[in-house]
Amino acid sequence: MQLKINGVTKEIDVEPGMPLLWVLRDELNMTGTKYGCGVSSCGACSVMLDGVAARTCTLPVKAAEGKAITTIEGIGSAGALSAVQQAWVDHQVPQCGYCQSGMIIAAEALLDANPEPTDADIDESITNICRCGTYQRIREAIHTAAKLRKEAPNLLGSL
Amino acid sequence: MTDKKTKKGSMKRRAFLITGGLLGGGVVVGIGGLTYVNKKIKQYTATGFEGEMMNAWVSVTPDNVITLAVPRAEMGQGVSTSVPMLIAEELEVDLDQIRTIHPQPESPYANTQLITGAPRDLSRGITLQEKVAQFVPVVGTGGSTTITDGWEAMRMVGAQAREMFVSAAAARWEVPKADCYVQSGSVYHKGSGRNATYGELVDEAKNFASDDLVQLKDEKDFKLIGTSAKRLDIPEKVTGEASYGLDVRPEGIRYAVIKHPSVTGGEILSVSNEEEVLAMKGVEKVALIPQGVAIIADNTWRARNASLVIEVEEDHKGNDKIDDEYINDLLDEAIHGDAIATHEDVGDVSAVFTDQKTNVEGVYGVPYLAHATMEPLNCTIRLNEDKSADVWVGHQAPSVAVQSIAKVLGIPKANVKIHIQYLGGGFGRRAENDVTYKAAEVAKQMPGVPIQLVFTREEDMTNDMYRPGAKSKMSAVVDPDGTIRAWDSRVAIQSVMQSSMSRIMPMMAPKPKDDVSTTEGLIHLPYLIPNKRVAFGDVPLPMAVGFWRSVGNSQNAFFSECFMDECAHAASQDPYLFRKTKMSDHPRYEAVLDRVAEMSDWGNTPEGSFHGMAILKSFGSIVAQVAQISRVGEKSFSIDKYYCAVDCGRTVHPDTIKSQMEGGIIFGLSAALYGEITFSNGSVQQQNFPQYDMVRMKVSPVTEVSILDVDAYPGGVGEPGTPPAAPALCNAIFAASGDRVRQLPLIKLGYEFV
Repeated sequence: MQLKINGVTKEIDVEPGMPLLWVLRDELNMTGTKYGCGVSSCGACSVMLDGVAARTCTLPVKAAEGKAITTIEGIGSAGALSAVQQAWVDHQVPQCGYCQSGMIIAAEALLDANPEPTDADIDESITNICRCGTYQRIREAIHTAAKLRKEAPNLLGSL
Repeated sequence: MTDKKTKKGSMKRRAFLITGGLLGGGVVVGIGGLTYVNKKIKQYTATGFEGEMMNAWVSVTPDNVITLAVPRAEMGQGVSTSVPMLIAEELEVDLDQIRTIHPQPESPYANTQLITGAPRDLSRGITLQEKVAQFVPVVGTGGSTTITDGWEAMRMVGAQAREMFVSAAAARWEVPKADCYVQSGSVYHKGSGRNATYGELVDEAKNFASDDLVQLKDEKDFKLIGTSAKRLDIPEKVTGEASYGLDVRPEGIRYAVIKHPSVTGGEILSVSNEEEVLAMKGVEKVALIPQGVAIIADNTWRARNASLVIEVEEDHKGNDKIDDEYINDLLDEAIHGDAIATHEDVGDVSAVFTDQKTNVEGVYGVPYLAHATMEPLNCTIRLNEDKSADVWVGHQAPSVAVQSIAKVLGIPKANVKIHIQYLGGGFGRRAENDVTYKAAEVAKQMPGVPIQLVFTREEDMTNDMYRPGAKSKMSAVVDPDGTIRAWDSRVAIQSVMQSSMSRIMPMMAPKPKDDVSTTEGLIHLPYLIPNKRVAFGDVPLPMAVGFWRSVGNSQNAFFSECFMDECAHAASQDPYLFRKTKMSDHPRYEAVLDRVAEMSDWGNTPEGSFHGMAILKSFGSIVAQVAQISRVGEKSFSIDKYYCAVDCGRTVHPDTIKSQMEGGIIFGLSAALYGEITFSNGSVQQQNFPQYDMVRMKVSPVTEVSILDVDAYPGGVGEPGTPPAAPALCNAIFAASGDRVRQLPLIKLGYEFV
């Protein structure tokens, strides 16, 4: 089976029912996408599938075949952060940080669909769990990211 | 207020109770108090340092790579930035000049406050208790102690290293040390302008000794301490590069999951379908270990699938009788029967209750709670051919982890090399050694192969060391003028200290009656109450209970601060003024209370909104909160805002304090709204989210935090934000509806939050 992940085609040989999360983590050693619950409740395992946020812990890998998969590793990197990541740094969002890959994916997907979300829009669309309780900063950072995206549509600056 | 009968000072509350009688208590045994702190790391295991060790905490290479030790666990509370700030302040280096490593859990890195219950005072030398903490050593992160324990010691190691560089420069230039100064990692000579970087000086500097006690900077000269420097861990946490325990991938890794006994305290005796399981794709081994059955496979998901079909014979050890009714009956017995200890006894409570009628009373209760760290528990171990082991884990107490692993593997502690990773949440759960010794049992099954043991979310939630369920019977006599004539509290709870310490440091496990965490948050309240008693009844239950963010304060603040609200209403007084007028002996409390009242514009609640207030000192810091809620239906509320004022003495990193308050409130609210672990036939009923749900974005309030500017010894900040959250909310619900909430969680009472 072939998967297109962050623009790169990867060959894998697994059962079609294996959740994409475990293909990423244990077969491809791409550990930025996290295991939190295994039942699509917490959102730590979120990636983008054709630009839409998807929870991968219950998503059979077969269902991701042929789609553009974007993981946290494909969002940006030190020196070339996305607007969302830059806003996360500006607002010093993460505490333990474990949920933040999923949160950032969810925020990217929200802003792609809705470039200027209101607080109510954010409340409705960000349903991931952060056990450290960074929600307030996430909300502020999404508003900042919306501004940054408008000002500089391409990937931004550096750390 | 006379409190001469008080058994324990509040600073002692989290000490691991090496008693004075046994080990000499606070006796100072030598002025060489820094010997351990300052010892050259060569005698230890210098993992990760580069170049020359100036002391156990600082190394420098000739090309000026400066490495600082951060021997505390980064679990979101910011120690990977605040610890380097303390060292760098005195070392006179900038944060962008350093790299940090997590060293092996050796003596120089002991957290002595975990044993002594009090911060170190370097000027008076080392006490026997502190020496024991270093000898063991006790290297751990908990009890909100990183800053309070390290406030002097971590600055001192930076100062000692700095002095060595200054001595080397002065000798090289043949000038008096007094004519040299230090800035951004270089030594300068005032007269000539000559200068040299630490790297250029290190070969000479390493031969100079530093005094044990170097004069520390005047606090007004701080450059880093007190600033909100950008956190060092955040860049890699936004790119997915940060490595948590579950992210390590050593060559040849295998993945294991464990199936625990289905009944708490039970035992799995045998596996009845091993052949079937072994035939499943990817499964390499099925191993019965003392604590359950482990399945080792080439992929976590395959191991997990195997664990779902495995069939086992179990011995429930008689614990299948445990259910909520059984627990409730024992709690009731303990609040109505004889107390086993009285932790506060002021005045003559019995006399007042004999003469006057109790006019405020209520029985409060809280359920068992899971920690539910976002990263499920895990540990990766490779038992090497040479009888050493490599361990990759995010752990709050690496010294405890190493000990447990060495014991199972039958190798010396010195042969266990631990690679501490970021913790995806700790909250006390990662101070336990269950996952480490179980991972060691698994590692033994396939020597030479690194095996990552993970508790699936379901196994994590059903095999926690829970915050115990508790009840408290509260009674008071309140005069019409608002005087609390007498206050009586009887708490019933399993002893966390006895349970947890008997697992992780058995020699230091107290008897339940001596566990001050049972009543913390009820004793030593700041209020003028002439007759007050707080007593404790033990509950003989077999469940493993453990430290849960803010420990006893997590439930006792709910009991004490909601009951204060009841007393205020009984006297028809405003809850803020009712509290304030009883704080005349405690100006720091009063200032925090005043600040939160001012922030929230207490008394002028916006139309349709309602306020509730709570205050508690825990871990050396006073936190007051006002919850602002609005009512959207009969039992339906929106939690709109939290105002939070904190006095944690001198601040190290204000933005971290703020984020810990924000997060601490959410942590408290998740428990207040949703948190409940229940038992049926001895088994935990909640397996995953959302059965055990969390506050999410939609329900999350906006929080405004104000830090009081107080020149006093620092207090902890990781936990004190949590205790006032629940009582502030429940007092607001009373203000909105007249309904007094005495039992959590709220959703079980039919409340909804939108």
